[in-house]
Amino acid sequence: MTTTSAETVIAPARAQSAAASATVRRKQGFQHGGWFVAPFLVLFALFVIWPLLRGIYLSFTDANISGEGANFVGLDNYREALKDSAMWDALGHSAYFTLLVVPCITVLAFFLAMLAHHIERGKWVWRLCFFAPFLLPSTVAANMWQWLFTQGIGLFNETFGLTTPWLTDKSYAMLAIVIETLWWTVGFSFLLYLAALQGIPGHLYEAAKLDGANAWHRMVHITLPMLRHITGLVVALQVLASLQLFDQAVVMMDFGPGPELATRSFVQYTLEQGFTSYRVGYASAMSIIFFVIIAAVALGRMVLLRNREEGAR
Amino acid sequence: MGRPGLNRRQLLAGLGGLTVAGSLGFAALGTGADALASGADTRVRYWNLFSGGDGANMIAMLDAFRKEHPDIAVKDSTLQWGNPFYTKLAMAAAGNRAPELGVMHLGRVAGFSPGRLLDPWDENLLAKYGVRKEDYNPALWNRGVIDGKLYALPLDVHVQLCFYRKDVLKKADLLGDDGRMIEVGSTGEWFDVLKKAKKVQKKGLQTIGLWTNDQNFQWWFFVAFYTQLGGTWFNDDDTEVLFDPDKATQVLEFLRRHVTDGYVIPGAPTGEQFINGAPFTWEGNWSVPVFSGAKLEYGATPLPPVFGKQATHAESHAFVLPHQAGRGGATDEGAHELAAYVVQHALQWAAGGHIPAYTPTLSTAAYQKLTPQNEYVSAMDHQANEPKVWFAGSTGVLAQDLGPMVVSSTMGSAKPASVAERMKKELTKLLASKNPMDGHTAAQGGAVA
Repeated sequence: MTTTSAETVIAPARAQSAAASATVRRKQGFQHGGWFVAPFLVLFALFVIWPLLRGIYLSFTDANISGEGANFVGLDNYREALKDSAMWDALGHSAYFTLLVVPCITVLAFFLAMLAHHIERGKWVWRLCFFAPFLLPSTVAANMWQWLFTQGIGLFNETFGLTTPWLTDKSYAMLAIVIETLWWTVGFSFLLYLAALQGIPGHLYEAAKLDGANAWHRMVHITLPMLRHITGLVVALQVLASLQLFDQAVVMMDFGPGPELATRSFVQYTLEQGFTSYRVGYASAMSIIFFVIIAAVALGRMVLLRNREEGAR
Repeated sequence: MGRPGLNRRQLLAGLGGLTVAGSLGFAALGTGADALASGADTRVRYWNLFSGGDGANMIAMLDAFRKEHPDIAVKDSTLQWGNPFYTKLAMAAAGNRAPELGVMHLGRVAGFSPGRLLDPWDENLLAKYGVRKEDYNPALWNRGVIDGKLYALPLDVHVQLCFYRKDVLKKADLLGDDGRMIEVGSTGEWFDVLKKAKKVQKKGLQTIGLWTNDQNFQWWFFVAFYTQLGGTWFNDDDTEVLFDPDKATQVLEFLRRHVTDGYVIPGAPTGEQFINGAPFTWEGNWSVPVFSGAKLEYGATPLPPVFGKQATHAESHAFVLPHQAGRGGATDEGAHELAAYVVQHALQWAAGGHIPAYTPTLSTAAYQKLTPQNEYVSAMDHQANEPKVWFAGSTGVLAQDLGPMVVSSTMGSAKPASVAERMKKELTKLLASKNPMDGHTAAQGGAVA
């Protein structure tokens, strides 16, 4: 009884003083740091916060591209968008792409990292080879693969003895973009995995070896569990990046929506509504819808992770 | 707070102010420099979308104008073709920072809010500089007229053509005495021609390039043949869809048959195959310089009248006057003079394959000597156009929505009859939808008073 009462007496005082010192620190912090952050804050406000707020406002209007004569239309844009089958198709394409890319890139990055980690000679060559494509601008990578895939003259079909119409048939077009994306972006996940592999303490493997675990067992019971967190990170980053599919697809499809609209992503459809159909208000509403979807995915992952960690504890 | 000086809000406001002031300063600098650079009295700013060979031809015509008119300073800017161009033009017109003269595709004019984003031409002023309505094909001139006012002055007509290789067709006995392809009057005759050509052509190539996967080309071909069948789109008031799914099905089946009968390799590059020896390819007339440059022995006719009537898809580059609040005076007259000059001196332009819209040019000896231009000049009188509604025009909403449907039929992933029905449904939807530029449907359309 006494101990608890003593604690309740002391604790608030301690908390209070801690809070006070924190505010002092915070005040001082802004006066010194604020000047350093200010240039960024100005740009951030100008190019992120303001457009975001403006976009939300526009989504409730029938604004056109010329920027004049916009009327408030309430939720009309949202209502129309949710009934727009072309929008759902476009979302489906983005989701399909994500579904194909994420598992492939995760598995591939892991194996490339294992390879680079375990090879004894010329390690740097492997690292460079696997990571180098990621340094290319998306347009360069996409343009290069467009040439590789072009029917009749492309190196890809030539090498594998195929005649597949990669870029011009609706059943292959998305696959072509997936292959390009794998080649182009696997380096990033590869690097994450490689760093994580190097962080696994060697004594774990030694101990396992002494206990008679073979290479397969060591990978399944030591490597994979130790990489669990990094795998979660890779998957999350890839999902978010893949859902925003745009640049490589439009470049490979000559800025069109692909054969029979097969590669028209959500972002591209939004752009078309804004800049071909001139419906800036409608395009803004779709952007907001997309923002909500992406945020939901990110939140969903967080919740899932927290539950799992609590379960593990 | 012991420290003197700025708080966060003041700082942000100050920086923001600096940014705005800075950009204004630069803008002012820009216009000042322009005025200083030109010693001439009148400055005409002219925005166009021509690059490549067309761009070079346009610049040559502008240079000729500059030589003859030292008092007018022409400041031309070439912007990227397609939607970026139209977006910029719209925003400039709305923001009252438009140039004196611009170029658009004629089909896009109706959707560009004429009267608000575009100013009408002064026909008297045009006549003063030598361009009159009588110098034009009446149908072409009227496409630029909205609510009785001329909003677009056509520079050319560019059409879809059937290019053929004379060396291959000769072997197949498909050339007439005049050295041109024999005439074709029905789908049966057309496929006979293809069959004969296929027998003598180089193996491994397709017989005809059809752009089967390209939503723009497929759409243009559709418009051409649908017009040959006498098909229409809407009633005169744009209140009712008159699109005929039966006729559309016939056209779609015709296009599809090229693939099913094996005359096309879907996805194969069209122009390259033609240069390598494929007997036919259907392309826009802008491919003329390419094929001539490749020193091919070739000819080019309008798309064959397989449904009995001549008609090939045509679109036009046209001069427009982007809206300026204070339009008038010397700069406006300069814009009229420049446009009239280029229209009348378009022989150079014809080298790019386009058919000059100013008809007196067509009867000059110099033009009639141009081959294969002289073979397809008749296309001027047999134009198949998209309907004159706000959602039509080059790379516009109509082509964007219906083009992929045509492709899906030609490629075989959907049945022609069901595609025709879907096209009709989409047309109905478009007719009811409002032009985002002015909030009017096609029926309410026209110019804004």
